[in-house]
Amino acid sequence: MTTTDHTRGTGGFCCDEYAAMHAATYGKVSRRGFLGGALALAGATTMVGGAVVTASPARAQSASAVLVVLSLRGAADGLSLVVPHGDPVYYAARPRIAVPSDRLLVKDGFFGLHPAMTDLEPLWTAGKLAAVHATGLPVANRSHFSAMEEMEDADPGSSVRVGWLNRLVAGTPGGSPLQGFSAGSSTIPTSLVGPAPTMSAGRADDVELPGNDREGRRRASLQIMWNSEKSTLGRSMRDTFAAIDAFGPAQAAEDNRGDYPGTDVGQGLATAAQIIRGDVGVEVITVDQGDWDMHTDMGSADGGWMANNARNLAQAMAAFLNDLGTQESKVTLVTMSEFGRRVVENDSNGTDHGYGNVMFVAGAGVRGGYHGRWPGLANSYEADLTVTTDYRQVLADIVSRRFGASVPKVFPGLHWQSTGVMA
Amino acid sequence: MTAAPTRDAVPRRTATVGALAAAALAGTAGRASADPDELGGYAPRKHKGAPALLSRADRHLVSRFSYGITPTLAKEVRKAGGAQRWFERQLNPKAIKDKKADKLAHWWPSFHLSPAVLWQRQRDGIEGGWEVMDDYARYVLMRRMTSRRQLLEVMTEFWENHLHVAASGDPQFTWRVDYGNTIRKHALGRFDDLLRATTTHPAMLIYLDAGESTKDHPNENLGRELLELHTVGVGNYSEKDVVNSARILTGYSVDYWKTWRPKYNADDHYRGKVKVKGFRDKNKKIVGKATTAAYLRYLARHKDTAQHLAYKLCVKFIDDKPSKALVRHLAKVYLDNDTAIVPVLRALVASPAFQHAHDKKVRDPGEDVVATYRVLGVKLAKPAGGEEADDSALQSLVWQADSIGIAPFSWEQPNGQPIDNESWSSPARLMASMRFHMGASAGWADQATKYRKPEQWLGGAHPRFDELVDRLCAELLHRESSKRLLKACCTAVDVKPYDPVDKDSDLVKWRFPQLLTTILDSPEHLSR
Repeated sequence: MTTTDHTRGTGGFCCDEYAAMHAATYGKVSRRGFLGGALALAGATTMVGGAVVTASPARAQSASAVLVVLSLRGAADGLSLVVPHGDPVYYAARPRIAVPSDRLLVKDGFFGLHPAMTDLEPLWTAGKLAAVHATGLPVANRSHFSAMEEMEDADPGSSVRVGWLNRLVAGTPGGSPLQGFSAGSSTIPTSLVGPAPTMSAGRADDVELPGNDREGRRRASLQIMWNSEKSTLGRSMRDTFAAIDAFGPAQAAEDNRGDYPGTDVGQGLATAAQIIRGDVGVEVITVDQGDWDMHTDMGSADGGWMANNARNLAQAMAAFLNDLGTQESKVTLVTMSEFGRRVVENDSNGTDHGYGNVMFVAGAGVRGGYHGRWPGLANSYEADLTVTTDYRQVLADIVSRRFGASVPKVFPGLHWQSTGVMA
Repeated sequence: MTAAPTRDAVPRRTATVGALAAAALAGTAGRASADPDELGGYAPRKHKGAPALLSRADRHLVSRFSYGITPTLAKEVRKAGGAQRWFERQLNPKAIKDKKADKLAHWWPSFHLSPAVLWQRQRDGIEGGWEVMDDYARYVLMRRMTSRRQLLEVMTEFWENHLHVAASGDPQFTWRVDYGNTIRKHALGRFDDLLRATTTHPAMLIYLDAGESTKDHPNENLGRELLELHTVGVGNYSEKDVVNSARILTGYSVDYWKTWRPKYNADDHYRGKVKVKGFRDKNKKIVGKATTAAYLRYLARHKDTAQHLAYKLCVKFIDDKPSKALVRHLAKVYLDNDTAIVPVLRALVASPAFQHAHDKKVRDPGEDVVATYRVLGVKLAKPAGGEEADDSALQSLVWQADSIGIAPFSWEQPNGQPIDNESWSSPARLMASMRFHMGASAGWADQATKYRKPEQWLGGAHPRFDELVDRLCAELLHRESSKRLLKACCTAVDVKPYDPVDKDSDLVKWRFPQLLTTILDSPEHLSR
């Protein structure tokens, strides 16, 4: 990391103003807000001409752990990604779309990875990648939209819309919107929604006040208009101001997106890695990938929709895990999908909505290999891969082991039983 | 230290801001006070030539059912005898002449090609489906921008999103323009007609896979989303209902990969008893069209469908948390009127909740783009033919909406893009909106499009700055200037309220885009 002077924006007055704005909104000021403000004022603020320049790292308290949550939207077929070749029903139920056993990667006696995922082999061999099979919601929900909501809310029985990642960052020290970051899409996923401030951007370079000027007129003008705006828009605008002030190092970090696939997941993870290397206190990053809803024409092991998606996913994950520099020892990645597909293929060479699925966990703290309890498949029209591991158990392992977070606070009502996927 | 902009009101410095930061702010903000909430000395001042404004209630009604109030639209509203009467006229779009918007469809010749020809052109590398679909998004944005049937466009957007068929993605693009036209035709008619026309439309059959469904193992995609997204809503159907719903729809298909013409494959149609919620049918015939028609009629008239649609209309046109009583009331109106849409809209607008909801909805990316061009009075030109300049406003519309969050019809999933506030309030969206407003205010590097020149906004030879801000607020926000807006504008361009402005002033020559973008970046412009 270089220690460039960041003269972006007019960061100097951000900190305690931001704290005051939050106080106006929430009726209290986070401790971090005050501390950050005090530090900035006492130490690093200098006057240059009419502008105040703050060396941003004053606010950028390093995160002790980072979690990247990659959502495979549309319900990915876990039975194609991590194939249970040891279960004969798998081949009986999918005469046209099954992945042949002799093509699988990193096979053990029962499971193997889709052959398009070669990029993940080195990570697997190094013990940095785990797959937990037969995971999912406690009760089947086959609606994409309500299953996603339920999974990301992760607080059954509560009608308050607060996501589990928002509860996680709310429980860690600090109150910066940079602690929770949505990379790549404009809408923030349910998992991050809630009272703790969060940030979002497609690329690190997008985090700026368009039209900003050296004198700070633009910023001051926007604050006049938005300072006391009570709406969700107002809150978001103030989060944006605060995030911009602390974001310089992330923008100065190398952007290696050329090493990633040009797809949404590749570019989202490239942004995530750049931000992480910037070490600006980001604890949680969400990245979304759509396009897994394969009701028709999934293709074969050699090519087609599933093979392309699997390859893209593997390339992006591998590129990301190799792009973390000095932060590598902090970063864990987990994949989730709202539900799995049915065991039996349909007549359009696809699969319809099912239940159990696989989760990948990679990076820091992971015990590599295949995890989970296999329930056995049934070969009937409506058969699902049943769920033997509540997906929250896997996430609870991560938040507890990596963040020291309180499991009952992040996953209310969960009877936590470790899956053994985290060391 | 903080110089007062006028002599009669000295802004008070507050103690909440640290001394150093306050000093810094005073320096950075020029003459503005350090405290953003300290507005003394910024009393707004009327511009005598500013366009006449509608009352607050009228502004609210017109704002919700249009893509932004321009002085021209306000004139139309007044001519109609007020917003309520304008609304009534808008409910009968056929009576409104709309030549300009009707001509737009001819800007893009490919819209008039058959699905077979469109498909062939893509295969031959002449024109990709995504190119036709980008043009379709431009066309629809242009309609929203220019149509005099504003309410019809608003409702077409609502239904085209509710019954979402993603435009990008093979091969439903071949039918996508026709699908949109079908929705516009029914947008103010009866929902049961709309549902029948869309569920069995080739675009929908291709998009949600029903066209490839078979009797032995029906593809459940459309059967499920028809229940969950289009009609009764999540939680109101069982898995058995999904299977039967899919079975009923089997047979409807298209001539895949060839002509794409609609066809009915009787061989693939599931025959035998079906039951979905309270709908039962022997379903004995070789061709199941009558069963499907009866099924869709049943779904359109189901009380859960009524509730679902009423709820969504409330979220779109009132606020994100409508009361149960209001939803129940609108659902009843819907059922009492045989699924007719207009009576529901009338009842919605008449509700006290509607009347209290002004400015409560966030403009989504498309609404932001359209409203911005409308209020800026930008004239977008017809495509010149051949390769279009990528920087013309017309070409850019699609990527501008995309940069803010979503281009029309590009939402990847069948539920359509969100219509709630939270989804479109993210920091990424706000930064992108500000970037877009800046570009649109400046009209950079765009020779094909006519932007108003800065001096055209002045409205008289020598307005004071505070008067100019009042005029701009009237044109861009359809409201009067306020202390807050005036101070924000003064701060942005470093001008005092009482400074005179003319065509030779620095502001007009160099900094006018900063002034326009300040107003477009206000909470008022980002809401509707």
